[in-house]
Amino acid sequence: MTEQWTWLIPLLPGLSAVWIGIGLLGGWNRGERGEWETAQVASWAVALALGVLLLLDGQAILTGAAPGSIRLFPWMETTGYRVMIGFTLDRLGLAMTTLAAVLAWLTVRFSVHYLHREAGFQRFFALLSLFVAALLLFLMAGSATLAFVGWEIMGLTSYLLIGFAYERGNATRNATRVFMTNRVGDAGFTVGMLLSFTWLGGSEWTDLVRGVPLLDSFQVGIMTGGFVLAALVKSGQMPFAAWLGRSLEGPTPSSAIFYGALMVHAGVFLLLRLEQLIAHSPFLMVVLVLLGSLTVVYGALVGSVQTDVKSALICATQTQVGLMFVACGLGWFNWAAWHLAAHAGWRAYQWLSAPGYMHGLHGPTPPVWGEWQQQRPGVFAAALARFWLDPVTDRVLTRPVFFLARDIQSLDDRLVNRLMGSHAMDRILFGPPRPPRQLGAQWVAGVGLLGRLLERVGRHFQWVEERILDLGGDGMVRLVAGLGAHLARIDELFSEPRYLVLMIILTFVAIL
Amino acid sequence: MMDTLLAAWAALPVLSLLIGMPLVAAGLLWWWPPQQARALAVAVAVVECLLACGVVAGVNPEQAGFQWVERAAWLPMVNGHYLLGVDGLSALFLPCSAVLFLCMVLSSGVQTWPRFYFALLLALEGITVGIFCALDTLLFFLFWELTLLPIYFLVSLWGIGPHRRFAATQYTLWMLAGGVLLLVGFLLAALGQAGLAAGSGGSFALSALVFDLPTLLATPLPIDRQWPIFFLLLLGFAVKTPVIPFHVWLPMLAMEGPVAVVAMMTGLKLGAYGIIRFALPLAPQVASKYSWLLAGLGVVGIYYGGLAALAQTNLRRLLAFSSISHVGLVLLAVASLTVQGVQGAILQLLNFTLVAGGLFLIAGFVRQRTDSTEWVHLGGMVRSMPFVTTFFLFLGLAGMGMPLTSGFPAEQLMLLGIMATHKGAALAALGGQILGAGYFLHYYCQAFLGPVTHRVVAEAADLRPREWLVLLLVSLPVLASGLYPRWIVHFTQAPAVAWLAHVAGAKP
Repeated sequence: MTEQWTWLIPLLPGLSAVWIGIGLLGGWNRGERGEWETAQVASWAVALALGVLLLLDGQAILTGAAPGSIRLFPWMETTGYRVMIGFTLDRLGLAMTTLAAVLAWLTVRFSVHYLHREAGFQRFFALLSLFVAALLLFLMAGSATLAFVGWEIMGLTSYLLIGFAYERGNATRNATRVFMTNRVGDAGFTVGMLLSFTWLGGSEWTDLVRGVPLLDSFQVGIMTGGFVLAALVKSGQMPFAAWLGRSLEGPTPSSAIFYGALMVHAGVFLLLRLEQLIAHSPFLMVVLVLLGSLTVVYGALVGSVQTDVKSALICATQTQVGLMFVACGLGWFNWAAWHLAAHAGWRAYQWLSAPGYMHGLHGPTPPVWGEWQQQRPGVFAAALARFWLDPVTDRVLTRPVFFLARDIQSLDDRLVNRLMGSHAMDRILFGPPRPPRQLGAQWVAGVGLLGRLLERVGRHFQWVEERILDLGGDGMVRLVAGLGAHLARIDELFSEPRYLVLMIILTFVAIL
Repeated sequence: MMDTLLAAWAALPVLSLLIGMPLVAAGLLWWWPPQQARALAVAVAVVECLLACGVVAGVNPEQAGFQWVERAAWLPMVNGHYLLGVDGLSALFLPCSAVLFLCMVLSSGVQTWPRFYFALLLALEGITVGIFCALDTLLFFLFWELTLLPIYFLVSLWGIGPHRRFAATQYTLWMLAGGVLLLVGFLLAALGQAGLAAGSGGSFALSALVFDLPTLLATPLPIDRQWPIFFLLLLGFAVKTPVIPFHVWLPMLAMEGPVAVVAMMTGLKLGAYGIIRFALPLAPQVASKYSWLLAGLGVVGIYYGGLAALAQTNLRRLLAFSSISHVGLVLLAVASLTVQGVQGAILQLLNFTLVAGGLFLIAGFVRQRTDSTEWVHLGGMVRSMPFVTTFFLFLGLAGMGMPLTSGFPAEQLMLLGIMATHKGAALAALGGQILGAGYFLHYYCQAFLGPVTHRVVAEAADLRPREWLVLLLVSLPVLASGLYPRWIVHFTQAPAVAWLAHVAGAKP
């Protein structure tokens, strides 16, 4: 009976986001006058969603069984592809959704006062409501596709809230960078989801679990690997740990709920969801343990040199989440789930009380460096530079891509356009009149590839006649020298690492 | 009562009306007062939208064949027919392009020769609708080449760049070159059919040529006759799509042409439609044999367009290259030869009509206010133009395939189809998705966010009511089909299954 109302849980905050958004577009809830209404709508929506959840919880406790999976209606279907609007409220899903709703409600209530009279009050609440809706959808989703919808919208709201102060170049640049990093994880999620459709014929969580024995270990590894990549990125684990540090530009309550308490745990939740799949892939478990431990070390060392409370807290969060990844890798999924719940609650409290704490403190605190760090300046420097994760990414990935873009651009300008006759035509039609070339007794001006080709053939005959036949070997030498210069340029380009990597990638694509 | 009305509606030659009405209105504009030229154009475009929706409502999605068929003798000596009809694959293009044309009419405020301008726009609308409805290859070819005329004049007379005449000439020459290939391809198909009917070594009359598509599809040619047809048609459509390296006209046109017209030319991917409708079904065996070629062109397009877009500093050139990247994914999905791939490709083409068209119209709004779309002249636009920014971001996200926009189901279906047959290409396409977010957000961050550095930007006004209407017309369908794509996916299913059975079922 109550199961029929589960769809209200993500929908209510979603509707509140829509309502506030329409108000913003229509302009009736602007400024301080609109604050009361906005705050009421946002907090009541979350409170009602929480109410429905508590009803479900009560029922589950009384009957001793969680509702399990609920399927409502198909969202999109075609041959061999079907996505249902449906939810998985098993013990894990129900517990985590309730926890998220409680923390979200607290954060919304806190933000009402924290953002009082700030510019963009309504925008903040619209985004926060949208985020809560997306998070609840992700936690409750019955299928990987529906979870992905929540996942992507969480990423989008996180982008918009990091860039909340859109006039600060730093904030918007960081937001873009965070979104791009997350996009890598999204690609991983997509791979997992699409492969589950291809191999198992569906992306319901139950399909995935049921289908595992049908696949060989390589297939399980690839499919689950996609999801694990997504989890690593979203939870800021190594080697994607750097983005969490950049994400603190938004208003504090949003930092609290995104990176302190809830979104950062989305990756861990995904691993818990896929428990059976991960347990089938020992290789991935080793990877989880290794990357999780690396993150623990990273978080601990970087955290020890931070001087502001938000950065210190984010590093501490990262360390704890790293421990959860290690636990998952070791197969202690239950332990990870408890750790997640306890950590989320505690950290949310810490984040929300941080501004008040700062208020009483007047200024940054001196960092606490122990004996150990003082004796190891190398480690200290590395921690200060956050282990150069960002510069390395820039060097290995970002800059080569931009160089590649520039190369393509100049290829387009210099070669493709010329080959296709674009420039030649420009000159002929509208430029200064081209002095006609004299070819024997003929005047020829070719246009584009074909025209040029004909012109060249004609000239070539004459050239052969004049140079090679008349002057002996001299013409040949010049020809070879000219060709050599071009080849040298191409060779130079190909010796750049980006082209080497490109060739390798191309080979892979062709083989697959 | 309702039934008789519906029957009367179904008996009307609505497709001819859809094609003819804008053409007649274009002629009528000669005698219309210039001040009210736009009013007439808007009225015609609105009626066209309603009629197109009526056509879609009358199409039975369970039935795979052509519907709303109209047939009349046209060129009896060569057996050419005036044959119109739509199926689930082409029907949805009618309302989409009608909405886009309405937006174009609404958003262009030309001062010089308004009657001529709107007449050309309306004529272009009628001809474009004709392309989607024509089922006779000769008739299709006629409409295909007829588009060049209004586009040439629109670009060379109302273009905004200094090289507009050159851009117009270049475009026309390119399209004529592609058109010749198409004509030869269609003729070869017709000759092949006539030869097939006459038996080996037999001679045949000109009236034995076959140009009508249903007959051509029903009797496939032997494989050795198919391959020239396939490659000629592919090459001919590749020029219009555009596929690398035949794309040089597009960035040029994007910079030089009037923004509203360029919005239509980047938005409506007629070349990709032609590939799906003609190039593959007319040569099914060769097509399934050489699908890897199409896939390869697609992957190259995704990366070439995406990387080139990343290097752009001007929004209009960026959008031109991004459309090359997007259409690469569409080609890849078609090449996968799966139901999901084809459905996704159609969905993406529809989505693209509104999204790319809308983004270009926004580029036009920005240019009107600040006289530039270069990011060095912009920056911090969100301060003075929050609504322009909101719509720009929304449509950009739809282009990236964000959930809750129509881009999401389209990309899901396409990637699913590709993943089923070309795993490596699917991974490559996912890399292209990351790139897609990169070039869009890079520009968005530079031009729309950040501090305001130019006075024109600070003083610019936000959306006017007419522009509001335009962007809502574009955005609401994108949002609606993103929230609940089931209906639109179902609409294309039966024809996609039939299409696939025809192309992939004819494996050698």
